[in-house]
Amino acid sequence: MAHIITLTSGKGGVGKTTTTANLGTALAMQGQRVVVIDADIGLRNLDVVMGLENRIVYDLVDVVEGRCRTRQALIKDKRFPELFLLPAAQTRDKDAVSPDDMVALCTELGREFDFILIDSPAGIEGGFKNAIAPANQVLIVTTPEMSAVRDADRIVGLVEAYEKGHPKLIINRIKPQMIARGDMMDTSDVVEILAIDLIGIVPDDESIVTSTNRGEVAVLDRNSLAGRAFHNIASRLLGNDVPFLVLEEKPSVLSQFFGRFRTRRT
Amino acid sequence: MGLFDNIFGRKPERSSNVAKERLLTVLVHDRVHLTPADMDQMKREIIEVIERYVEVSNPEAIEVTLTRGESADHLKADIPLGRTRSQ
Ligand SMILES: Nc1ncnc2c1ncn2[C@@H]1O[C@H](COP(=O)(O)OP(=O)(O)OP(=O)(O)O)[C@@H](O)[C@H]1O
Ligand SMILES: [Mg+2]
Repeated sequence: MAHIITLTSGKGGVGKTTTTANLGTALAMQGQRVVVIDADIGLRNLDVVMGLENRIVYDLVDVVEGRCRTRQALIKDKRFPELFLLPAAQTRDKDAVSPDDMVALCTELGREFDFILIDSPAGIEGGFKNAIAPANQVLIVTTPEMSAVRDADRIVGLVEAYEKGHPKLIINRIKPQMIARGDMMDTSDVVEILAIDLIGIVPDDESIVTSTNRGEVAVLDRNSLAGRAFHNIASRLLGNDVPFLVLEEKPSVLSQFFGRFRTRRT
Repeated sequence: MGLFDNIFGRKPERSSNVAKERLLTVLVHDRVHLTPADMDQMKREIIEVIERYVEVSNPEAIEVTLTRGESADHLKADIPLGRTRSQ
C-alpha cells in the first residue's frame, strides 16, 4: 500500500509547504514514485515552492468535480519524471472538496505511486480535516516557539482522535546559536513537551529562501544543511535508521558564566 | 550556579526555560479542555457536596486550579472552612 503522509501543523507559516516539497523531491531522488498534493485550497503555494507554477492547467477541485481525469491534473516535475504535483485550486470555494473526496482520490493515486504527500493548510478547520482524512501517517511540523508548539499539541490530540496512529514530529527552523544562548527551546525540550516521536530536525537556513526564490528545493543543493536534514527525513520514511544532524550545542556552565559577564557589562 | 548567583546577583532566567515552563502550564489547561463555564459548574457542584458535610465559610472564595505535577497533573480545590465550633 502507498504511504499516504499528511504534513500539518496547526499554526501557519512553520514550514509545511517547504517540508512537503523537499521530502517529495528527496523521495523521488531515492527512486520513489511520488505525488505531492497541495490541499491548501484558495492559497496555492506548493507549485511556486517547486517551481511548477507556469505549468498548471487543472487543479484538485477540477479533479474532484470531474472536469478532468486525475492524470490530466498531475504536473510532472522539471527534473524527476516520477515526481508529480497536484495543485490546489486558487480561487474556488473551500468547501468544494470533502474528506471522502480526498480518500477516493488518494485510493486512486495509491495504485500508481509509492508516496502521496499532502500539504495541509494551517488551522483545524475543513481544510485540515480534508488533508488528514486519507492519511495513513501524519507528520507534524513545528518550530521551537511557544505558539507553534502549543498548536502542535492540539493537533496531536486531533490526529489521535481521528485514529491516525501516532504522528511524528519535525522541528523546523532550529537556530543553534539561540539555543546555545538559552534563548530557544531545544529539540529535547520540544520532544519532552509534545511526547511524540521525532522524525527530523531542520535548521533555520538561508538556503531555503534562496532555493525557493529560484523555484528549486533545498534538497537539490549539496551545500544546504537544511537540504541534508530533509534527505535524512526522507530516508527515515523509507525505513532507514539515520542519525540526527548535530545542530545544537547546549550552553556549557562556563559559557553561561562568561555570558553573565557580558550581560552585566551591557 | 548557586555560588555565582550569590556573587554576581541573580541573572534573569534563560528565556528558553521560561518558554518551556509557560508552555507546560498552558498545555495542562489545553489538554484538560475544560471551558470556563464547565469550570464554574464544577465549582458549584463541589461546593454543594462539601456543604453537605462541613460548613464552608465563603463559597465565593473557593479556588479550583489546574497544576502541573511531576508525573501527573492535578486539579486542586481550595475550600476555606468556617471556624465556628460545632454545637
Ligand atoms: N528551515 C527554514 N529556514 C529558513 N526559512 C524557512 C525554513 N522553513 C521555512 N522557511 C520559510 O518560512 C516561510 C513559511 O514556510 P512555508 O510556506 O513552508 O510554511 P507553511 O507552514 O506551509 O505556511 P502556511 O501555514 O501559510 O501554509 C517561507 O518563507 C519559507 O521560505
Ligand atoms: Mg503552506
